[in-house]
Amino acid sequence: MFKKILIANRGEIAVRILRACRELGIQTVAVYSEVDRSSLHVRLANEAYSIGPAASRESYLRIDKLMDVAKKAGCDALHPGYGFLAENPALPRACADVGVTFIGPPADAMDAMGSKTAGKQLARRAEVPTVPGTSDPIENPEEAQSLARSMGYPILLKAIAGGGGKGMRVVPSDTEFASAWRDAASEALNAFGDSRVFIEKYLVGPRHIEIQIFADAHGRCVSLGERECSIQRRHQKVVEEAPSPVVTPDLRRKMGEAAVRLGRAGGYVNAGTVEFLVDADLNFYFLEVNTRLQVEHPVTEQVTGLDLVKLQIAIAAGHRLPFAWESITPRGHAMEVRLYAEDPDNNFFPSPGKIIARHAPTGPGIRLDEGVYEGWTVPMDYDPLLSKLIAWGNSREETISRLRRALDEYTITGIRTNVSLFRRILTEPEFLRGEIHTKWLDELLARARPPAVPPRPGTEEAALIAAALWHSANLNGSAAPSGASQAAPSQWKMEGRRRQVDRIP
Amino acid sequence: MKFEIQLSGPSGKKKHVVELTRTSEAYAVTLDGQPVEASAVQVSPNTVSVLLDGQSFEIHLSRSIGGKIKLQCGPHEFSAELIDPRSWRGRKQGALEVEGRQEIVAPMPGKVVRLLVGAGDAVEAGQGLLVVEAMKMQNEIRSPKNGKVERLLAKEGQNVNAGEVLAWVE
Repeated sequence: MFKKILIANRGEIAVRILRACRELGIQTVAVYSEVDRSSLHVRLANEAYSIGPAASRESYLRIDKLMDVAKKAGCDALHPGYGFLAENPALPRACADVGVTFIGPPADAMDAMGSKTAGKQLARRAEVPTVPGTSDPIENPEEAQSLARSMGYPILLKAIAGGGGKGMRVVPSDTEFASAWRDAASEALNAFGDSRVFIEKYLVGPRHIEIQIFADAHGRCVSLGERECSIQRRHQKVVEEAPSPVVTPDLRRKMGEAAVRLGRAGGYVNAGTVEFLVDADLNFYFLEVNTRLQVEHPVTEQVTGLDLVKLQIAIAAGHRLPFAWESITPRGHAMEVRLYAEDPDNNFFPSPGKIIARHAPTGPGIRLDEGVYEGWTVPMDYDPLLSKLIAWGNSREETISRLRRALDEYTITGIRTNVSLFRRILTEPEFLRGEIHTKWLDELLARARPPAVPPRPGTEEAALIAAALWHSANLNGSAAPSGASQAAPSQWKMEGRRRQVDRIP
Repeated sequence: MKFEIQLSGPSGKKKHVVELTRTSEAYAVTLDGQPVEASAVQVSPNTVSVLLDGQSFEIHLSRSIGGKIKLQCGPHEFSAELIDPRSWRGRKQGALEVEGRQEIVAPMPGKVVRLLVGAGDAVEAGQGLLVVEAMKMQNEIRSPKNGKVERLLAKEGQNVNAGEVLAWVE
């Protein structure tokens, strides 16, 4: 087993990996940018090294700096987490050059499966169903249009280098084809420097269901079941659950077998996720492979009882998978919501800042994976994911009620969060019936918001009393600014002066 | 202690008078002149638990920009402004000139991109002290009064939060 692991990431996933290492008795080495000095992953690690300025291009994306740290600290393995360099084959290659084990798939498997077209070609070879469409980018718009006609509208134009919804266009009918083609190509060129586009059949109202696979270096590859991730806002997942409300044991077996075939065909090793679109008739179509640990891995952990990060480390250390696929069936239900520092009342605008106070939910069936703490300032330089709140229970209903209860307990003061979005989703009748698809949330948000539930009687009076008490408690000096070298000036005096300032027209 | 509080919430804005009288272990509360059956305890620096006729409320408070108090009670948000009788006296005297030490605070989260003065410099009212960049916009933070930069707490390149003290002008 490894002695010391370099965690090439930050935030909640760095903390998640750290915890797995601690449980395994492995030393941890964190890296941090200038703005992350006081981040939780740095505080919890055994060692931590600065790798540059806030901009990720100059810190978390610098393979050379990571390798320097790995050598300096004497690490024998590196975990990339998700995001940043996790799906860049240059990282495992650089690790191999300095004799550090990369905890993830081999670079060749990333090449073979990572890009959308490569993954699709592999899927066809492995007889995994794909959405009807072209596997190669098409250069000629006329040729593309005649293909689109033969496939039948609506169709989807997708940038070959795309991601996060950029360079993607739905074409509802033939008349819109030419302009959509131009838009998709120019958007792709601007966003990714690659204007190549391919075509596929557009499925109406599909679900996003993905299969977690694990493969060891000794030829065994298994499926750990599915996750339903249909609740997405602009192609970004916000709620994930396992099992899916629509997947039957038979469908689970078929999707699992397809995902495993794909993994074997690509020479895959370690944790990977095969994403599928599932239509109303429960036909599934390959979407893409994520050659890394997923953000939503905890829901699989909660229904399988496995620790996927520990499993990743064990496989990277050459261990065999300790179980056969037949023994893995989901137990109970798990659901995750992604809490972001963003303002749902202001078009989900990022809301970084200092967390003045927070109360984290606990209790039965609740897990919180996070990298934040009271007093920490959420930097404005990275993805504003604060916490992943995960609930599990015996049934989907129990899981949802636990999640709702936990969201009510969760308070965070100082920054805005998207908690209210989940309060809304988790009470929508369609969601409760499991009637969801990948556009469901965007459609929900386009509808008028239901009238706010008025505060229960007494809330305003309680707020007034709280304001008076808190104000007077702060006047008594309990909130004197810390670190002031001289005695704090009278709060009454300061307040009076401040009021006067406000009065200047 | 008597407080005049302007409360803004989902049902609008209204002025109230709250009186807290310290008894042996708790507070006696009157609301707009009426005594109420209430128990209020500050359970953590930013949380007050209120029992009102047996109903339990948990209120989270923080200071927002401009000195107002932001209150959260479950999904509901309120803003409270305490009207301090003493400040009215000041106004009657026509005191428009800002007196005493002034804390210069960041009006928004951002990054200090430039310092325009040094500690100890004499400054005039309206003179730029430093530049804070937020959302790609540069904002000059000006001195509210004639005086001297007593302390300069901000450093070039430092990230600051809304309400964070940047400098003191005496």
